[in-house]
Amino acid sequence: MTTVSLTVNGQSVTKDIDPRTLLVQLLREHLRLTGTHVGCDTSQCGACVVHVNGVSVKSCTMLAAQCEGAFVTTIEGIAEGGRLHPMQEAFREHHGLQCGYCTPGMIMSAIDIVNRKGTALDEATVRHELEGNICRCTGYHNIVKAVIAGAEAMGGGMRQAAE
Amino acid sequence: MAFTMTGEVDLPADRETVWAKLNDPDVLKASIPGCQELEKTSDTSFAAVVALKIGPVKATFRGKVNLTDLKPPEGYRIAGEGDGGVAGFAKGGADVALSPSETGTKLAYNVDAQIGGKLAQLGGRLINGVAKKLADEFFANFARAVSGGTADAA
Amino acid sequence: MAVTSIGARVARKEDHRFITGKGQYVDDINRPGQAHAVFVRSPHAAATIKRIDISAARKMPGVVGVLTGEDLAADKIGGLICGWMIHSKDGSPMKAGAHPALAQGKVRYVGDHVAVVIAETLLQAKDAAEAVVVDYAVEKPVVDVASALAKGAPAVHAEAPDNRVFSWHLGDKAATDAAFARAKHVTSLDIVNNRLIPNAMEPRAAVGDYDSGNDAFTLYTTSQNPHVARLVLSAFIGVAPEHKLRVIAPDVGGGFGSKIFIYAEETVCVWAAKKVGRPVKWTSDRTEAFLSDAHGRDHVTKAELAMDENGRILALRASTKANLGAYLSTFASSVPTYLYAPLLSGQYDIPAIYAEVDGVYTHTAPVDAYRGAGRPEATFVVERLVEVAARQLGQDPAKFRARNYIRNFPHQTPVIMAYDAGDYHASLKKALELADYKGFARRKRESARRGKLRGIGFSSYIEACGIAPSAAVGSLGAGVGLWESAEVRVNPIGTVEVLTGSHSHGQGHETTFAQLVSDRLGIPIENVSIVHGDTDKVQMGMGTYGSRSGAVGMSAIAKALDKVIAKGRKVAAHVLEAAEGDIEFKDGKFTVAGTDRSAGFGDIALQAYIAHKFNGQELEPGLKEGAFYDPTNFTFPAGVHICELEVDPQTGDVRIEKWTAVDDFGVIINPLIVEGQVHGGIAQGVGQALHEGAVYDPVTGQLVTASYMDYRMPRAEDLPSFVVDTTVTPCPSNPLGIKGCGEAGAIAAPAAVVNALTDAVGHEDVPMPATPQALWRACQKAPRLMAAE
Repeated sequence: MTTVSLTVNGQSVTKDIDPRTLLVQLLREHLRLTGTHVGCDTSQCGACVVHVNGVSVKSCTMLAAQCEGAFVTTIEGIAEGGRLHPMQEAFREHHGLQCGYCTPGMIMSAIDIVNRKGTALDEATVRHELEGNICRCTGYHNIVKAVIAGAEAMGGGMRQAAE
Repeated sequence: MAFTMTGEVDLPADRETVWAKLNDPDVLKASIPGCQELEKTSDTSFAAVVALKIGPVKATFRGKVNLTDLKPPEGYRIAGEGDGGVAGFAKGGADVALSPSETGTKLAYNVDAQIGGKLAQLGGRLINGVAKKLADEFFANFARAVSGGTADAA
Repeated sequence: MAVTSIGARVARKEDHRFITGKGQYVDDINRPGQAHAVFVRSPHAAATIKRIDISAARKMPGVVGVLTGEDLAADKIGGLICGWMIHSKDGSPMKAGAHPALAQGKVRYVGDHVAVVIAETLLQAKDAAEAVVVDYAVEKPVVDVASALAKGAPAVHAEAPDNRVFSWHLGDKAATDAAFARAKHVTSLDIVNNRLIPNAMEPRAAVGDYDSGNDAFTLYTTSQNPHVARLVLSAFIGVAPEHKLRVIAPDVGGGFGSKIFIYAEETVCVWAAKKVGRPVKWTSDRTEAFLSDAHGRDHVTKAELAMDENGRILALRASTKANLGAYLSTFASSVPTYLYAPLLSGQYDIPAIYAEVDGVYTHTAPVDAYRGAGRPEATFVVERLVEVAARQLGQDPAKFRARNYIRNFPHQTPVIMAYDAGDYHASLKKALELADYKGFARRKRESARRGKLRGIGFSSYIEACGIAPSAAVGSLGAGVGLWESAEVRVNPIGTVEVLTGSHSHGQGHETTFAQLVSDRLGIPIENVSIVHGDTDKVQMGMGTYGSRSGAVGMSAIAKALDKVIAKGRKVAAHVLEAAEGDIEFKDGKFTVAGTDRSAGFGDIALQAYIAHKFNGQELEPGLKEGAFYDPTNFTFPAGVHICELEVDPQTGDVRIEKWTAVDDFGVIINPLIVEGQVHGGIAQGVGQALHEGAVYDPVTGQLVTASYMDYRMPRAEDLPSFVVDTTVTPCPSNPLGIKGCGEAGAIAAPAAVVNALTDAVGHEDVPMPATPQALWRACQKAPRLMAAE
């Protein structure tokens, strides 16, 4: 067993874990934050995307032990005071989700795209930047619309998610 | 999945020396990449433990190696199969032919092999590259053994 | 708060929990004392199990049980079933081998279940699974239909010595052959419909729980149809009696058919929960999903189209070999038969059709329904034939289609189906305008100047949804009825719960179904809850697949709502002191006709429960009604999809430049959701055409596309934004006029893409998936028209 201490969605946590524990397992199984999903085991699908120190990370490919001292933000941590993050709002408004399984990873990736590329995004950029996230339901059409709209809303004075 | 590979190497030793080394478990053990154990169980068979990593799959194979079609000093068929547990299995063989060359002995090999289970599912598309690399490593080690008398790890 | 009408474009009610990470999928559920299961799977495609040594595994840390097929047999647990009986041409029933949940003596595909290891933690279970030693005598597998049908091929099951499960046919052979004999033109094609792996983003999962105090079981499972799962698990497999088994399918992350079926894993989790005295959880990893989820498609077809001198279609003939895999999955036998051949008339008036289908066992994963199920395969055959025929006759493919479209409804095809309503010319006309078909030649020249090959392709698809009436599907071999149930519970303050037998796993039922209730009862959509996916809450229902939940599931709700309103009218008559016949219900109010005396829906609900204003002996208190709805016919959504794309002959890379879809889904409840269904369907169809293909090594039967590294899923950059529009002919076969939209895109898209690709490269030799390598090869061949016979 090994001990890891980190900050998740603003809360400090310390856990004794098997050293093989992945970040996604720490979040889902030890912290009961089940919004972060596992869709593949090969870092391809992006359902497990969270932010570590403000940068998007596939949490199925990172050992929890690597997160010692890190600030981790998950889908559960981006709405503030009962108010949804603009990217969450945009996904609902534009029907950017169907079964909802890829959605947390999509939203976390989308926020990261905005953090890197700014709030004025065009379709080609969004499609290219979403290469690490697979959705089987939507054909991406409404996800792309949602990300563009969410980016715009984030530009409208709204706070950005990643810590 | 099944695959094949052929190749040849020139070894700086005469055919009898090469043949002897090809039948020497210590040399084979030192030459086979990842070989942890190779014990003679009869004149023509060995029990082997080999640890390999193919793509994302790492496995320890336990199995046996048999020598057949022995034609000293012209060549033989070396064949084996190993069970890597949940990682799957690997089996295959190589026809090895020795012929005199200007610089010593030409060793020609013709490998046919199959892998299954996780190895094929996750490592399948890497297998040709890995096999080539393993063969290159084997012959580099083996060449050292036949020229210098000992291989690195022997 | 306002009423939300049918047809309103409202955002989904269910989304809040998904966008905040509060969805409850099976893997999110943990039971107290839960142990974890890992399956030991066969690494061989065909082998006899000589011995399984579990002694070392049993001693590993944390292990609470290691179970094998012998334990299953000792407990007299039955095998998995196929619920659709197909009879061969000669009248004999299909030849099905046994399908034990854990192998008994033989393994028949890579991934076949050999043993289950249950331990305190998942990592312990994985470690212990490594210690299970299985001694196999490896045998030679048959991997594709050709080798399975070859003389002397090893039999996958002794019950089907030549690997033919059935040799089925449909249609009038003599009439079809006669039409071919007098035809002026015949177009023939050899078609391979590539094998696909469904890949819902949520992998399958199951938690089995046993309550020894009540001798009752609960199964949490990723199912599209929890009641069907309960029925099969109890009545056929026998793991628990039906009244002692609760099946819960909570949030389910996509299904596309793959979660209809009753698999080995959930069977074992329920059984093992009692066996080891602990809740047992299993969650598939992605590679397990590739290996063991039922695959889709995998047809090899010889197809021919006969035409007269004017290009009128006279007849169609198809001979198909369908790979069913190593075992018959739950509805496997229906997919290449009754869900396929009856759709071979497409949108066309074809006087004679004859189809023969061989269902074939191979040493591969079971093949069953995947989005569209049989109908994409049929559409691909018809739309490739029609496109090639038009080219061979030198006719414009759009005009050729229009000339042969069915014009009058109802229309009886020669292959069972009676199309009830449609206007195929209307959708074609709209699609041609939206796609700017007239400007295509100019765009093609412009592409050519840049060294690119531009192509345009059509797909005029039809599908049959609803899969009912029950008596009709029963006569075709279905083991179940395909009606749907609904229960509308009105609470005393006028809020409503609807318990539906349909199951939502992305379709947005919590919104569309609530929209129907809001519209009909005149109450705010916020006051409606949709309950589904729990056999303890919802009465028997049939679930969601085959684009049936709108047409069948909502019709059941509509029927129950009618009963609620009828009962409300009776209560209102007492409350308003008027004759029942004088009470009108409109805009959420019961009104005495011709007066201003009225009572709101909520008031009447309250009066129904307090029951002060009427005699409880004459009128039952309460306001709750149920309904079972059995449709009068299939529904027939149809439409035209047009794909325009550009191929780079230097690299074989392809870009879809524009996608136009005009669909006739009948009445639409929520256009936002319907469009989303179309988008997703198109993406899966494009995936089949350009990217996806399950590949087994032909010699060893190893699945070599078993992760997203090798199985190419469509990604955002592979697709354009789609132009999606509709035409409407209401469906006359259900009270709402709905036809169904869930599978349309996946049915239409592959033919549209391949027709566009063949148009671009100038010849018909383009395989699916048309990967860059395949397209580059195709670009090396000289453009030519395929000669007509």
